Amino acid sequence: MMRRLTIQVLFCSLIVTLTMPQSLAQSRVAATETLIRNATVLTVTRGTLTNADILIRNGKIVALGKDARAAANAKVIDATGKFVLPGIVDCHSHSMLDTINEGTLSVTSMARTSDVLNPHDIDLYRALAGGVTSLNLLHGSANAIGGLNTVVKIKYGRPAAEMIFPGAMPGIKFALGENPKRSNSQPQPGQTRRYPMTRMGVEETIRDAFTKARDYKKSWDEYQVARSRDKNLVAPRRDLQLEPLVEVLEGKRLVHAHCYRADEILMLINVANDFGFKIKTFQHTLEGYKVAREIAQHGAGASIFADNWAYKIEAYDAIPYNAAIMTRAGVVVSMNSDSDERARRLNIEAAKGMRYGDLTEEEALKLITWNPAVQLGIQQRVGSLEVGKDADLAIWTDHPLSVYARVETTFVDGEIFFDRQQDLAKRPEFLRERAQLEAADPNRPPAGGASPQAPRRRRPTNTDDDLWEGGEQP
Amino acid sequence: MPRLKSRIALAMIALVSLGALPTRFSHAQRSAIDTYAITNARIVPVSGPAIERGSVVIRDGLIAAVGPNVAIPADARIIDGKGLTVYPGLFDSNTSLGMPQPSPTPAATPGGGGFGGQRPQAAILTALNSSQPAGLQPEVLAEDFIKPGGDQIEAARQLGITTALSAPRQGIWMGQSALINLAGDTTQEMIVRSPVALHVGFTPLRSGVYPNSLMGVFAVLRQMMLDAGRYREAQQAYARSPRGMKRPDQDRALAALLPVLDGSLPVIMYADSEREISRALDLAEEFKLRAIIAGGLEAGKVADRLRERNVPVLLSLNFPRRTTAAMPEADPEPLRVLRERVEAQKTAGRLASARVKFAFQSGAMTSTTDFYPNIARAIENGLSREDALRAFTLSAAEIFGVNDRMGSIEAGKIANLTVTRGELFTRNPTFAHVFIDGRPVDLKPATTVATDAAAAATATGSWTVTVNTGSADLNMTLVLQQEGDRLRGSIQGALGSGEISNASLGPGGDFRLTVPVNLDGQTTEASFTGKLTGNEMQGSVTFVGRAPGTFSGSRVQPGSESATSKTQGADPSGTWLLNLMVGLKTYPGTLKLEQQQGGLSGVLQSPFGVTKLESGSLDDEGFRFLARARVEGRVVEMTVEGSVSGEEIRGTVRSEIGFARFTGTRQKS
Repeated sequence: MMRRLTIQVLFCSLIVTLTMPQSLAQSRVAATETLIRNATVLTVTRGTLTNADILIRNGKIVALGKDARAAANAKVIDATGKFVLPGIVDCHSHSMLDTINEGTLSVTSMARTSDVLNPHDIDLYRALAGGVTSLNLLHGSANAIGGLNTVVKIKYGRPAAEMIFPGAMPGIKFALGENPKRSNSQPQPGQTRRYPMTRMGVEETIRDAFTKARDYKKSWDEYQVARSRDKNLVAPRRDLQLEPLVEVLEGKRLVHAHCYRADEILMLINVANDFGFKIKTFQHTLEGYKVAREIAQHGAGASIFADNWAYKIEAYDAIPYNAAIMTRAGVVVSMNSDSDERARRLNIEAAKGMRYGDLTEEEALKLITWNPAVQLGIQQRVGSLEVGKDADLAIWTDHPLSVYARVETTFVDGEIFFDRQQDLAKRPEFLRERAQLEAADPNRPPAGGASPQAPRRRRPTNTDDDLWEGGEQP
Repeated sequence: MPRLKSRIALAMIALVSLGALPTRFSHAQRSAIDTYAITNARIVPVSGPAIERGSVVIRDGLIAAVGPNVAIPADARIIDGKGLTVYPGLFDSNTSLGMPQPSPTPAATPGGGGFGGQRPQAAILTALNSSQPAGLQPEVLAEDFIKPGGDQIEAARQLGITTALSAPRQGIWMGQSALINLAGDTTQEMIVRSPVALHVGFTPLRSGVYPNSLMGVFAVLRQMMLDAGRYREAQQAYARSPRGMKRPDQDRALAALLPVLDGSLPVIMYADSEREISRALDLAEEFKLRAIIAGGLEAGKVADRLRERNVPVLLSLNFPRRTTAAMPEADPEPLRVLRERVEAQKTAGRLASARVKFAFQSGAMTSTTDFYPNIARAIENGLSREDALRAFTLSAAEIFGVNDRMGSIEAGKIANLTVTRGELFTRNPTFAHVFIDGRPVDLKPATTVATDAAAAATATGSWTVTVNTGSADLNMTLVLQQEGDRLRGSIQGALGSGEISNASLGPGGDFRLTVPVNLDGQTTEASFTGKLTGNEMQGSVTFVGRAPGTFSGSRVQPGSESATSKTQGADPSGTWLLNLMVGLKTYPGTLKLEQQQGGLSGVLQSPFGVTKLESGSLDDEGFRFLARARVEGRVVEMTVEGSVSGEEIRGTVRSEIGFARFTGTRQKS
């Protein structure tokens, strides 16, 4: 009985926490300026400033250093003894996606994550509470060439359209190895296994798609020329599957490639070189340390886990020194979550980079700020604290690489989207609202009625191989 | 002149066959009476102010005259309208009325009897020789499938519905709808307008086939609209100058999208939640489609954008409710869920005040148990009666482009009338007369008691049901409560939870029900049709936007349950040590209960004071009583409900200041 009670109380408080932000939105004050005073500022690119002020105006950092002068009506936050870190950038997330995989075909470049955004996903609020402000929302890894990504700023409580990261480079998901060859999933009854079923087939699928994309581009180029001569000429069919691949060939779309093994990493580098495009990031890259030099030479980044491995055959050779080894070889490395749960504690993932492989404090912090920003092409706006950049940052109670550190306040574009004190203060109000709602007619449990089932998990908490296609887990 | 002779012969044959063929001429002859007058009635024309005492004259299917002082034709059959109110015929703005229903038994054995054998299986309706797979055929026309008559059309008419939009309910491009009057011997007679709109569901096709995700659905919709644009270009280019150009393929699927792309045919898009509606609107804006939202439970949250874009809503009256019992494992429910259920009833009022045009739809729900009570709930939550009536009549006619001929009581319009005794918008309105195309509809007296036959196949109870969707077996619990030939109840399980609607049980054990379900993260609607024999049931199920499946189930035998229900009905007398959970805090309490003849008395002790129980009662479901407590200096009345199971007690306390739960154990004597 006691245990059940405790669980209920815990659950109750959790629910309250989770439902906060809608009301926070109302209390958000449109202060023209915010001054964060007397903090330890971890700029990431320009060292650590002690007893420093940050002045925010119209969503931008306008002053950084000692004795910043704010307007009389500025909101002033005393951050004495606290730390300010740029907003964390998570380079591999599936939060706020209603579906993750279009798993039917081997090339699904016509699928767009931007079509299935859920701005009310509670995981966004949890990420904010972990100091995360930007996400790279990726399609799953069921296809050699997957769908298009979306980079967002976590403006929780706003419509999805307001969360799209302005000017972020568009990207696309590729996947190599066991997931696209479907070795860990069974075909539906009555269906044949999908091609490809081997790593050779994965390579061929990608080569075939880019060959078609090259032809497609050629047909349009020829049409543009011929049209001036023949007014009655009908334009080629627009192909939403091939158009993104043409953008990749033209360098207008970034490739984020899910991979594990060293051989497949080298394979994709060769394919990219043959077709004349670049891989922007290798995702997971568990054996990246074996081919760090080749990755660096190609100019690709790597976005990895700190210490997560052996969950399938192709993940057996991972080591916790991966981040350090690749960093030393000149690869731009980031730590990602690929998990709604891990997204809340990416600061600890970064700290593991110091524990294993002796990265410096600045290098460790870059794993979750500057480096992922570079990998997404958004480093002009976020990823470090500098005058002129977006005011996407969080105030921490301790140094963020400490296990004791906790986020006090998270800003996106200078606005507060998470505040621990406000969260706590609002809880009684939510309890009152809950009591009212539970008494309302449509919420009354019927006298009889079926017994409820435990709610289904929307996504596995550890989407390590992000094969989940929506619906129930097999 | 043999040639002339043969021509005459041909003409004669044609004349003879003409005389034999058309049913529409025979109607005029068959129905001797085509003139009616409803006199001394209250008339609500909707297009203008109500006439407190006036007459409506119907002649030859049309409204001949309406007003306070109308000359009554001598040949009119006169209906004394004293105490009656005449409304325009009511619209159900999105249904599948007249469309093929799934057969009650999935694989009817040939010659096995019953009406199931002859009916077609409700697979996705398909067009002939289509270039596209089933579910992606915009050229499918409802009018090709609609059949007159049938139980469902009859049931709708008994609810005062005269006109319905009818469309297929499967697929992504589901097909094009027809507006039908719910009377007539032929499909042709029923149709008021066709096509009205192309219907779009965003539910993926069956698993394993592209598109199998919401992302894929959007990709397919986009690609097909782009292809249609190019199809038009190619056809035009070929028409301008065929010589030297390879003949482009004829493609009726793509051709069917052209009126959609040029805005002459609206698109009815299924969308309930705020984000589903936003996505639908995004797609509509991307391709400049004339969008209409169907479902719209959260449309109030997108009202500004809907008004700005002039997008009407076909608002479903199938409001969400909690259907599961109170259980510590499920409670407290997320605040978001609690809010959604309460907010859904306010949507109609919000759309009205935001001046978004909307019409009501049943969502295939035609049971009186849900239909009018939910309208009443919308009215209790901020919708004016005038706006409610408009959403049932003239607004629907405007959305479907037929307000020049229906939707209000005006001379010259189609004589569709719904006549009530007393108020229309009550939880259980009484229909005195329904006229469709100028002819009265037979109205059955309201079902009150279960017929012997229906009682023979009683559905009341809990059923364990397995639904086979073709790719998976999904288990759920179906709880049914039979009231005459109507069923109430809910589902719970792998398809989510929801309250059933449009549920009925026929004399032979044939039953039908509709319920909102959650499949692969998508909200959709399932219609179960089946047969109930003793403690077994089986049949077929159709999902909006998906391939159909089958189901079978068996009644949860009372054996195991009777033990608990007996203990629930057990004597609660004794002293109970309680834990009262108020918000995050827990308080101790003592409850002394004493069972008396048909009642319950006792004392409740808690940190909020000592109070005697009032109005205590006890039945198989549990006990309830009123109690008073002093909180912050004032006396608050509380309703306490709970149940006893063995030596354990649990229940809830509700009052104007809040809600609490309690659990407890019996004190050993």
